[in-house]
Amino acid sequence: MAAILRDPYPVHWDRVANAALGLPGRVINQGPLNLGYIANMLLAWAGPASIRRLTVSFGRPVLDGDAVTAHGRVTSVDVVDGERRATCEVWLERDGEHVVVGTAVVAVDAPAIDRSDDA
Amino acid sequence: MADTIAFSGAQLRSLVGHRFTGGRYRIEHWENWLLTDCTGRDPLPDGLAHPIVLFHVPILGVGTSIAELFRICGVEGPGSVGLEGYDWEYVRPLLENVEYRMEGGIVAAERTTDPSGRVVDKMAFEISLFDEDDRLAARVTNRWVLRR
Repeated sequence: MAAILRDPYPVHWDRVANAALGLPGRVINQGPLNLGYIANMLLAWAGPASIRRLTVSFGRPVLDGDAVTAHGRVTSVDVVDGERRATCEVWLERDGEHVVVGTAVVAVDAPAIDRSDDA
Repeated sequence: MADTIAFSGAQLRSLVGHRFTGGRYRIEHWENWLLTDCTGRDPLPDGLAHPIVLFHVPILGVGTSIAELFRICGVEGPGSVGLEGYDWEYVRPLLENVEYRMEGGIVAAERTTDPSGRVVDKMAFEISLFDEDDRLAARVTNRWVLRR
C-alpha cells in the first residue's frame, strides 16, 4: 500500500524502526486504507458510483494484525440536485473502540456511472 | 517552548497561502487495480476509480509529494506526523485513464500544545481536481498533525 501511495513514512512499512514507537514488529495501517474499509461498506450498500462526500477524523492508529469492522447508520435523507442522498454516521471499530469516525453522504439511487453529459 | 523549537510559530504561519505547483495526473488501470485490491474488494466496474485514490492522486497530481510536504512543514522521523482528518468531496465519478488537472495549497496552520506541553502543530491543505472539460471533479481537504 505504501508503495502505491508513494508514501515514504517508515511507520507504514518498517517493523524494526517502529520499535522506537513502542510498536515492535508492527506497522501502522495507512489512514486512507482505514477509510477504504468504510468506503467499501458504502459501495457494497449503495453502489459503485454512490459516494458524494467523506468527512472523517482519525483517532487511534490501526496496526497490522488488528481486526476492524466498518459500520454506518443513516441519519437523514435529502434530495440534492434531483438526487436522493443519505447522510450517514460512519465509523471503523476495533475491539469496541472507534478508531475512525465521520460522516458520509451517499446517493442512494446512483447509477453505476452517469455519462449523460459527456460530449 | 514554541519559540525554542527548530520550526518557529512564524514559519508555521507562513505556510498558509503556499500554493503547490499544480499539474496533471492520469489514474492508470494497474494503479487503481492494485489500490482496490489492497482494500480487499474487487475492482469497480466501468473504469471507476476507488474512492481512496483521493489520497495520493491529488498530492502527486498537484506537483508535490508526501516527502516534500514533510520538508515544507519541517518534520521528520517516526511518529512526527499523524492524520487528523479528511474532507473529500466527489462531484463527478473519478475514472481511470482520464487526465485530471489539479490545483491547491496550504489553507490552515495552527500551533497548539498537548497536555504534556509538547508542541503540536496542525496543518491543512486543499486540492481541487478538474476533469478534461475543466469541470470540478473532486476536492480534498486533508488535516495533518505535526509533532515537534
